[in-house]
Amino acid sequence: MPGAGRCPDCGSAELVEDSHYSQSQLVCSDCGCVVTEGVLTTTFSEESNLREITYSRSTGENEQVSRSQQRGLRRVRDLCRVLQLPATFEETAITYYQQAYRHPGIRTARLQKKEVLVGCCVLITCRQHNWPLTMGTICTLLYADLDVFSGTYMQIVKLLGLDVPSLCLADLVKTYCGSFRLFQASPSVPAKYVEDKDKMLSRTLQLVELASETWLVTGRHPLPVITAAAFLAWQSLQPAGRLTCSLARFCKMANVTLPYPAASRLQELVAVLLRMAEQLAWLQVLKLDKRSVVKHIGDLLQHRHMLVRMAFQDGSAGMETQEKEQQRQRQRQRKEEVGGSTSGSLPGKRPASPALLLPPCMLKPPKRSCPTPPISTVTGDENISDSEIEQYLRTPQEVRDFQRAQAASQAAVSVPNPP
Amino acid sequence: MLTSWNPSLAMLPGQHLPLWAKPALEALKKISLVGPEELSCLGSAGPPRIKRAVDKGQLHPSVAMERAPCLELYLDQCATQDGLVPALSPLFSPFVPYDVYTPNPSNPEMTLESHLEEIKETSDDFSSVDLIFLPDELTQENRNHTVIKSQHETEENSRTQNHQNKLPLLSKQDVELGFQGSSLSNPQAHLCPGPADSALPSPENPSPHTLPLSIAPMTPVAPASECSGIVPQLQNIVSTVNLACKLDLKKIALHAKNAEYNPKRFAAVIMRIREPRTTALIFSSGKMVCTGAKSEEQSRLAARKYARVVQKLGFPARFLDFKIQNMVGSCDVRFSIRLEGLVLTHQQFSSYEPELFPGLIYRMVKPRIVLLIFVSGKVVLTGAKERSEIYEAFENIYPILKSFKKG
Repeated sequence: MPGAGRCPDCGSAELVEDSHYSQSQLVCSDCGCVVTEGVLTTTFSEESNLREITYSRSTGENEQVSRSQQRGLRRVRDLCRVLQLPATFEETAITYYQQAYRHPGIRTARLQKKEVLVGCCVLITCRQHNWPLTMGTICTLLYADLDVFSGTYMQIVKLLGLDVPSLCLADLVKTYCGSFRLFQASPSVPAKYVEDKDKMLSRTLQLVELASETWLVTGRHPLPVITAAAFLAWQSLQPAGRLTCSLARFCKMANVTLPYPAASRLQELVAVLLRMAEQLAWLQVLKLDKRSVVKHIGDLLQHRHMLVRMAFQDGSAGMETQEKEQQRQRQRQRKEEVGGSTSGSLPGKRPASPALLLPPCMLKPPKRSCPTPPISTVTGDENISDSEIEQYLRTPQEVRDFQRAQAASQAAVSVPNPP
Repeated sequence: MLTSWNPSLAMLPGQHLPLWAKPALEALKKISLVGPEELSCLGSAGPPRIKRAVDKGQLHPSVAMERAPCLELYLDQCATQDGLVPALSPLFSPFVPYDVYTPNPSNPEMTLESHLEEIKETSDDFSSVDLIFLPDELTQENRNHTVIKSQHETEENSRTQNHQNKLPLLSKQDVELGFQGSSLSNPQAHLCPGPADSALPSPENPSPHTLPLSIAPMTPVAPASECSGIVPQLQNIVSTVNLACKLDLKKIALHAKNAEYNPKRFAAVIMRIREPRTTALIFSSGKMVCTGAKSEEQSRLAARKYARVVQKLGFPARFLDFKIQNMVGSCDVRFSIRLEGLVLTHQQFSSYEPELFPGLIYRMVKPRIVLLIFVSGKVVLTGAKERSEIYEAFENIYPILKSFKKG
């Protein structure tokens, strides 16, 4: 053990136990320096001679595991077991918690934060192993506020310098859709609403891919998009009986909480599908609307790559693609002669010009225009006129009135129950 | 500036510049070193001019025959004109270096060296000024000739071999400013209106006498094609100042109309003024924080106004240690950005959590600025102490964002 039994003055290892008037002492036999006096020591330097000192001055604070840290580690293990994570995840999460606990900012934080820290460590572990776990799930399990969670999460990622990969959308779809209670008939789920898991999963995946390609996923919470996609997939697999079922009812039946933005994501997804449907000649005649397009989701998904390319243009594509599209459509219209009357009507109907493939926030008109501020020629050293400052000061009369008003309101407050 | 130029040397129209030179000259025109009339003069070039010069006796025929299109010839012509060079020299710093062409592609290096020696001599008399006119002299002969570097860059000779092979091909295509292959200097960076801070060209040419003879090339630092042309607007400035006297916040809140003070909520007076529209937090220790100004000068003026209000209320307020603590800017790149892609490639700098916040948080290391990047293309830059940091950060991020433009 380094430093054990060395004289602090001359560094000699010749320490002799001696007693001076019944007080035991440790004395250096070379220089005569008294290394320790008595059984109890009082300073940190004495501790390096492996003598006892007070706890707050010792290094035991760093070496021992404090009670709250033990509690936190227990919570990490419990959380991993509740989420049924593999054993390796538990060890990694424990390590992260211990690492975080070494930082004084975490050690002195409130209990609420330490509780949330448990969730953060588990989340980081899952993300690094591509295990799809959302922050919402953890917050629900820990009864924590998402704001507190987000603050602690960002802080700990920065503090520990960790690389946390993004949430894996495909895995999340599988896990989330797997949790829907629609795959078996039950008292709450009539037979016509029961669906095959694999079919629904694959269609939902395709719809989510379509959504992410058409800018509906970037910057948004992933779960509402997946809910909307699952709903459309489920409806389209047996449209006959299911078109009447609403999104809210669907979620209630599937025993899943309906995220608030899911309705708006549903509208956006249906709008994308409608645009794609306009590129298919046999669907143009049908004049689909947002309900009837659900019946044809299967077809649309089958040709989704081509249809997206045709239906949308980037802002930079310009007029040439637009004209090429119209030419192609006219050609297809001529080929698809569905009887004389319909073919007559087709040339009359112009296919919609390709919409811009942009995130919805860029397609909506700006709420208020931001005018560029006029170039100010302020130098910062101008003269400040007295009148300008006077306008901000109260006259003595106003001061008196204000004081009187304040006193009156204080009096009213201090009398809680007027007789 | 070219008024003293001998009009007898006017060019014939219809002659073409080498493809690489024309954009360089256009760039010069943009920064008004070359006027439009000069540009049109330069746009036509060639031997007829030399022939005329020979006819007029200004040029020795043998010289004209041997090295008609060469630099020395041209410089000789210019030597006959008085007062041309000194007038022009201050205007043309070795800013736009040009290459020397050799007339004889078969033995480029030798002729180059001989050229360069001559150039060196003449360069003592002339700055790189006259090189501006160089291309039009050499265009006719040298469109397919090689581009050779200066003698200093002999180590580049291996690369110039490639140039010799490349140029005949390139002359057919439109060679933009982004001409590949040479990496010596980057005058284009200087032409960017933004604060591109690329290093000065030609570190290999420290001596002022040497002509930095390299083609307008592109360095990885700030190619002109990616100069954004967008200037972030400052939205908020936070500054602090020390009034250096203890303040009675209750008295301030009582006597000032524009003050609010709620000690249970926050231990400072919140004061607002209308011009410039700002808010100040005034603490009892005499320290003050001023927020909401749109420029550094406005922030300073506002802080002074607050100090004046406090003075008028009877406190011996001073105005010490005014310091800008934070500047926030914003701008719009006008195209949508794939944030998921950006977080994959720049993982060590970016943090994108769509569950928490719709934007991507990019922590730039140099300069130390935090950028919030949104899918709509709007960018918010914060954490700057100087305006130039915001501009620099935006110029750094713009090429990265462009590479994620969904095209």
